[in-house]
Amino acid sequence: MPNHVNSFEDIKIGDTLGPLELFVSKDQCRAYANTMGMGGAGRFTDDEAARKEGLPGMIIPGNMSLGLLSKLVTDWIGSSNARLTRMSTTYRVPVQPDHTITIHGFITNKNPADRTTEIDVWMENEEAERLVTGTATVAFRK
Amino acid sequence: MSVNYDPELINKVFEVTEPVEINAEEIERYCAALGETNPIYTDAAAAKKGPYGGLVAPPSFAVTMRNGRNFFQSVPRFGRGGFDAGKDVEFVAPIRAGDRVTLSSHVKEIYEKTGRSGTMVFVVIRSTLKNQNDEVLAHIDHRFMNR
Amino acid sequence: MSTILDLHSHSEASEDSRAPVEAYLNWIKLRQAERPLDGIVLTEHRQFNRDADYRNLEDKFGTMVLRASEVETTYGHMLVFGVNDEMVARFDFADVRLDAQTLIDEVARMGGIVVPCHPGRPNIGLYEHYQSRPPLENVVAVEALNGGSRKGEDERSAELIAKHGFAATGGSDSHLVSLIGLCATKFSADIKTIDDLVRELKTGNYEPVDFRPRRKTVPHAVAMVTR
Repeated sequence: MPNHVNSFEDIKIGDTLGPLELFVSKDQCRAYANTMGMGGAGRFTDDEAARKEGLPGMIIPGNMSLGLLSKLVTDWIGSSNARLTRMSTTYRVPVQPDHTITIHGFITNKNPADRTTEIDVWMENEEAERLVTGTATVAFRK
Repeated sequence: MSVNYDPELINKVFEVTEPVEINAEEIERYCAALGETNPIYTDAAAAKKGPYGGLVAPPSFAVTMRNGRNFFQSVPRFGRGGFDAGKDVEFVAPIRAGDRVTLSSHVKEIYEKTGRSGTMVFVVIRSTLKNQNDEVLAHIDHRFMNR
Repeated sequence: MSTILDLHSHSEASEDSRAPVEAYLNWIKLRQAERPLDGIVLTEHRQFNRDADYRNLEDKFGTMVLRASEVETTYGHMLVFGVNDEMVARFDFADVRLDAQTLIDEVARMGGIVVPCHPGRPNIGLYEHYQSRPPLENVVAVEALNGGSRKGEDERSAELIAKHGFAATGGSDSHLVSLIGLCATKFSADIKTIDDLVRELKTGNYEPVDFRPRRKTVPHAVAMVTR
């Protein structure tokens, strides 16, 4: 289960966030796509349509992956006095639904001058291949 | 670089959307779709006592503004089609229920690189989201991969 | 006496990396027990910044920071070590279609060395090109271990190395701070400068080293609860 941060002072470089293991089903992928008005793009709702685009099958929208990586960080922030201020993602490998994905995070930097911390975040498949990678910045209020 | 495009494409604003009102139901639907349960995003009463004094959308909601509504009409395209290659988002201020959000977009950069999928042209689009008070909510760099 | 270097890494100077060099060095210090690196080589995509100066960071962390480049050629991606003004003037590093043989031969003539990277990767690795095109001449070494490899890619690299007798290197190909040093190269000689590195790469007296943790099986997943 994701852990929570209490304060900026408690953070240490090398601390982990998560890991969070999730199983995103095809129905959940379709539900997200339809809710976000992306249901018209077959790649997010239909295996055959996705294959016609050269994909291995249906894929999870990049925005959904970004949302899940962000959620790892906001869950870690919890009710502490902090805010997610930046998220950068790179979609390296299509993320297919009906697979187990694991989301990880590492604290890689801590800047006392502006009370920010940098976090590596990434999503892996069952074979530990990195599908989506990213970095997040969290700022702590005084 | 060998990719051909009109240099005047860069930095010229190609799209400014009409304001879109974000209501509480929309935030709730987004949270439901993502499995988000944090009360500052899902419970108006709890959110009122939270750090933002009211219901706000999860930060990642900002990037969904480009999909389903006012998707880029005039973005330059290369090759057969585009894929979302990634985003760089600066979350400046939370999006609140009741905000009326506009987006202004321009092409920031175009470059070519090769990868597992072959030769790709990347088009980076910078969008700035503002609310009804002209306050910046987010800056988003969308990287579209064309091949 | 030996030197262990991560020969392939990307800092925030590469468009798809957000890793500051200082954060890389701090992470190496943190993980010294599992990844005993003496230094890293920055191989930024399609560029070489002659003015970049990391001596202050090297002194602060006691870790070498050498600079090279990852370029894109007609036979895939390649690492160029020993980049100098003559090479920068001769080649457009941003060109994604550099002629591979010309690059290998001219860089050698100008005092450097080219090492094809991730040779097992589709489209941008030597293995696939060698299936249908004549092999390149004068290749001394290729990257056997790449920290960003997907299933089967390092295996294809190994097959290529066995067939052609290349020397073998390792590098993380990191674009994230926490991935630095996962793969590296162990040299039998003492290396302190880029000139030392180029000299040693030409000898073949090194081997790839793998510092990736053994993967445990994925525990039972939590079904994503949506409403």
